[in-house]
Amino acid sequence: MQTKIKHDFLQSEKGQLADKILRSCVHCGFCTATCPTYQILGDELDGPRGRIYLIKQMLEGHTVTKETLNHLDRCLTCRACETTCPSGVEYGHLLEIGRSEVEKRVKRSLLQKVLRKTLLLILPFPKRFAVLLQTGQLFRPVLPGILKKQIPAKTRLTKLSLKNHKTKMLILDGCAQPALAPEINHATRKVLDALDIELVSFSGCCGAINQHLSDEEKALVIIKNNIDRLIAEFDNDIEGIVMTASGCGAMFKEYPHLLRNDEHYKNKAEIIANKTFDLTEIINTEKLKNKLNVNKNLNIAVHTPCTLQHAQKLPLNIENILSSCGYQLSTIKDKHLCCGSAGTYSITQPELSAQLREQRLSGLMVGQPDMIATANIGCLHHMNAGSTVPVRHWVEIVAENLKP
Amino acid sequence: MRYHCRMTRATKDNRKSLRKQLHQVLPKTCILETPEQTIPYESDGLTAYQQKPWMVVLPESIEQVQTIIRLCHKEGVPVVARGAGTGLSGGALPLANGLLLSLAKFNRILDINPANRSATVEPGVRNLAISEAVEKFNLYYAPDPSSQIACTIGGNVAENAGGVHCLKYGLTVHNILQLKIITIDGELITIGSQALDTPGYDLLALMTGSEGMLGIIVEVIVKLLPRPEQAQVILAAFDDVVKAGEAVGAIIAEGIIPAGLEMMDNPAICAAEDYAHAGYPVDAEAILLCELDGTNEEVTEQIQFVENLLTQKGATSLRTSQNTAERLKLWLGRKSAFPAVGRISPDYYCMDGTIPRHQLPFILQKISDLSKEYNLLVANVFHAGDGNLHPLILYDANIEGELERTEEFGGKILELCVKAGGTITGEHGVGKEKIDQMCVQFKSLELQIFHDIKHSFDPQELLNPGKAVPTLHRCAELGGMHVHDGLLPHPELERF
Amino acid sequence: METMNRTRELQDHVRAAFNDKTALKIVGGNTKHFYGNKSNAKKTNVIETRIHQGIISYEPSELVITARAGTPLKEIEALLAENNQMLPFDPPHFGEHATLGGAIATGLSGSRRPFTGSARDFVLGSKIISGKGDVMSFGGQVMKNVAGYDVSRLMVGALGTLGLLLEISIKVLPKPNTEATQVIAMSQQDALITMHKLNQTSLPLSALTYENEKLYVRLSGALSAVTSAQKKVGGETLLHAEKLWQEINEQTFSFFTESNNKPLWRLSVPYIANIDLNENSLIDWAGALYWIHSDKKAEEIQQHAIEQGGSAMLFRTHQVKAEKNAQDCFMPLPAKIKQLHVNLKMRFDPRGILNYGRLYSDL
Repeated sequence: MQTKIKHDFLQSEKGQLADKILRSCVHCGFCTATCPTYQILGDELDGPRGRIYLIKQMLEGHTVTKETLNHLDRCLTCRACETTCPSGVEYGHLLEIGRSEVEKRVKRSLLQKVLRKTLLLILPFPKRFAVLLQTGQLFRPVLPGILKKQIPAKTRLTKLSLKNHKTKMLILDGCAQPALAPEINHATRKVLDALDIELVSFSGCCGAINQHLSDEEKALVIIKNNIDRLIAEFDNDIEGIVMTASGCGAMFKEYPHLLRNDEHYKNKAEIIANKTFDLTEIINTEKLKNKLNVNKNLNIAVHTPCTLQHAQKLPLNIENILSSCGYQLSTIKDKHLCCGSAGTYSITQPELSAQLREQRLSGLMVGQPDMIATANIGCLHHMNAGSTVPVRHWVEIVAENLKP
Repeated sequence: MRYHCRMTRATKDNRKSLRKQLHQVLPKTCILETPEQTIPYESDGLTAYQQKPWMVVLPESIEQVQTIIRLCHKEGVPVVARGAGTGLSGGALPLANGLLLSLAKFNRILDINPANRSATVEPGVRNLAISEAVEKFNLYYAPDPSSQIACTIGGNVAENAGGVHCLKYGLTVHNILQLKIITIDGELITIGSQALDTPGYDLLALMTGSEGMLGIIVEVIVKLLPRPEQAQVILAAFDDVVKAGEAVGAIIAEGIIPAGLEMMDNPAICAAEDYAHAGYPVDAEAILLCELDGTNEEVTEQIQFVENLLTQKGATSLRTSQNTAERLKLWLGRKSAFPAVGRISPDYYCMDGTIPRHQLPFILQKISDLSKEYNLLVANVFHAGDGNLHPLILYDANIEGELERTEEFGGKILELCVKAGGTITGEHGVGKEKIDQMCVQFKSLELQIFHDIKHSFDPQELLNPGKAVPTLHRCAELGGMHVHDGLLPHPELERF
Repeated sequence: METMNRTRELQDHVRAAFNDKTALKIVGGNTKHFYGNKSNAKKTNVIETRIHQGIISYEPSELVITARAGTPLKEIEALLAENNQMLPFDPPHFGEHATLGGAIATGLSGSRRPFTGSARDFVLGSKIISGKGDVMSFGGQVMKNVAGYDVSRLMVGALGTLGLLLEISIKVLPKPNTEATQVIAMSQQDALITMHKLNQTSLPLSALTYENEKLYVRLSGALSAVTSAQKKVGGETLLHAEKLWQEINEQTFSFFTESNNKPLWRLSVPYIANIDLNENSLIDWAGALYWIHSDKKAEEIQQHAIEQGGSAMLFRTHQVKAEKNAQDCFMPLPAKIKQLHVNLKMRFDPRGILNYGRLYSDL
């Protein structure tokens, strides 16, 4: 596509990158077909091709208003468009530039500012989030139904007796997950123990929340801190870091891109990304199969999170593990679609997010499953609030079927 | 390239009045009017042309479309209809003084009737979505343009879209039963029926491929076909494009009608492989993809026959799909070939000429000569079975003058197609893009009757004016520049 | 040169008629004279297209034949057969001298139609003389062509009211290697259910026809495919089936000849229509075409067809010709659609000289 990016911006590294990405787009429109928001709203401006155009206009110096901001805000960053795009347009990276540029040009409403600031003050901090959630859980019995669905009941975990293994890996605790669903990492420890892998806890947030809310500066602080701590850990015989939330995994794998201009951190980021594994990547299915008493009556629908299928490009990993282990998989429709959770999207765009959830769940329910399996805490929590069947992390299902 | 239309008679006051009335009948979110909102609509799938529309409307019901059209009719404001905006001829290119009517919100499948082998769909339903929805009945919708993942059925009808399977299963015109149309005076009419034929003139055929010039399509009943029991595709590599072309003729001469018969040359192979990882041989000069379908016995028999034939005709390697996944993967590369070329060039210009098949070697040679003359690379993708060529001229719009050279080159290719006994467009439509080449293909008498047909439906020329059929004066002006065989075309017309 | 002269001769004829507003009746082999309305013009001249005949081009590997409108169908079919090809829409001849022009102007298709397509589906291009005497060409000789409106297909079934056909290009197909017909004895109710079921399968069908307690299933394709399909379909294999299909297509089959002097109606309906006029019928096109002998009022038959989502037309009648003219053979069109017909007629034939009234009394 032809571009006429403003001269000064074109001089910057970001300008160069944006121009390169824009020019790789040939405006074919294939992306609109798999864009969840375009499929609901039917407006070019709410699809990837339109958003690319809005960003192009902005960088070319056209007037920008809240319109552009709104349409960019409505993007889920699910990156289904990237999977569909034959020309190889790096939409996610372009959107990142577009979002940070539009923040500079358009003022948000006070309400939006407060909301976004509040999210930034709570979510990335596990302790703050935990306190808030515990307060909610305390009052859960007296809360109205709608809020009750948002707040999971408190879980009690059995104490594990795990062995020591030669193979050691880190496991990211994450920010919201330890409080919302501690059972996920608990199950992971059990399953990996059976596969002779020992896990060492690594606390902290991946930085995605700040990144998605356009708080890049703070995001970089978090990321660099993670990198420094990880590099130190990797010296001690640690094979890598395991992610039980595909959103965090996708973010870790983005570190080299985010630090591409930082001479000091560039290479380190590369090392971290190469040692970051989604849980599905390290499962030895042959070995696992023999350790399970699979419940074959269970009909499971798999929702592969966007961060796993589109960002990490691992679209079939969950299905492959479950079906190789002998689980019965339910047919689903529109595998590529986002559930509407998308980080903080369910909070910043509640209406669309609910519509997307409904659409996604109806696609997952076509084969009348007993359960939905996924791989990301965001999707899990968001879909649970609207689903008639339980939504669980796939590793929990597997952990329950481990032979004693 | 900016495109200007001089046609409309509507004044500023008319538009002001229309705008006011539209705001009364449509929700705010269905009207886009600031440049920020309308510029992203300035092109369809052909970015060589851009025109910011005066206003974009996104109606949600047939009644709303009727009201919009009635108001436009009353105020004399022209209307351009648009589906997914994937067209490659600028057919949905907006007008500076006109309304752009997006039908993207009409995306529901209204009814599937397996016993009647038909489905009733809204115009904004994606082509592929139909086949996906009827898969459970073991049926499918046959025409499959390469953009089928995104393009809408309304646009398919407007352009009479083809695809890789139309050698055996026909174009859109062969695969629809009924249309609901809103005429320029806002009346809702039904053309065709659920029966196989309908009394009177074949308005269904006339409407198909009419490029939004005769009416606004608001509902389509498509024919569905039973999925063949078996389908396999052979991938054959050749070290010479002409040899591949000859192999195509040989297959058909043997009385075999493949479900699809496609050809790609080396640059196209490389680009498509880079995206699809279908296992195309990137060192081949050309590949053929030949799909055979039917009953198990038939396909097994024909696959063997065609494999032998291709070997005889000089194929350097053969691979036959062993399962559906492999077959779809082989097609994915072909179907993504256009945009995948975006990986090797910032812009491309896709031609759509069709020729009698035996002229293929001649045209290929000419294209290669012209490519050298204009110093522009070409990637060739063909629907070889039906002689439909898609040479993609690779260019960079950021380099001054390159688009103009590309267009001139493209024009030459189309004129060659006409000379070879073919046509300037097989399936993409004339739109804005090939309007000048229409003067090469048709004489003024035929062009006049096209205008007459247009006026039979839309006397004020409010529906997609300035597309598909050139004015006689335009041809006369061009004729002054292009003198063919020493004869000035349209000597009867005054020159300007 | 000869052809140029013939074209010129026809053109002059039309021009003269245009100038003195004489109605023209276009006649080819005159085999389908019964089809459509009788002209109600006071003075009518006959214009014969049979003088304009001959195959212009035919390249078997291109799957296209181009011929002049007056070329006998017989001649075309013979040439195609030599090359193991055929006109895929089974045009009925209805007589020794049927021409290509007549086949296209009436647009009739035989039993193969639901499976391979209709006359209009295979028309690729045409050359015509308009009602003003202008010679024009549309479409071409290639399979895919979307340049300009599809005037060639508009001519199909227009009964010459929009233009006199000069030349037509048709897509042809290879003849199937093998054909076999299975006969299964069953009631009409069961036959309809069976036809719907078969019609949703991918068997190599080329006709599904029912008459007098018998369902005829024709299969065409590769030997192996036909043999295996025969087993799946069941019933008895009919010997000399070609004769049966020929008779059905040419309406020399007993159903058509034993009419008891009742008019023959043609009902084109959706596959799943439920046609119940309490008359003897022959069902073709997998349930989408009914041939019915009936004395019932036109309104009654047409109303029934409309209710079932289709249309009915009076195909043949044994009544005195004057009576037949009392109303249109074809079903009345909705007002707006009729208006579009009139607009088109006005543009192609402004003085209404070409086969005026043949399709509708005011076209």
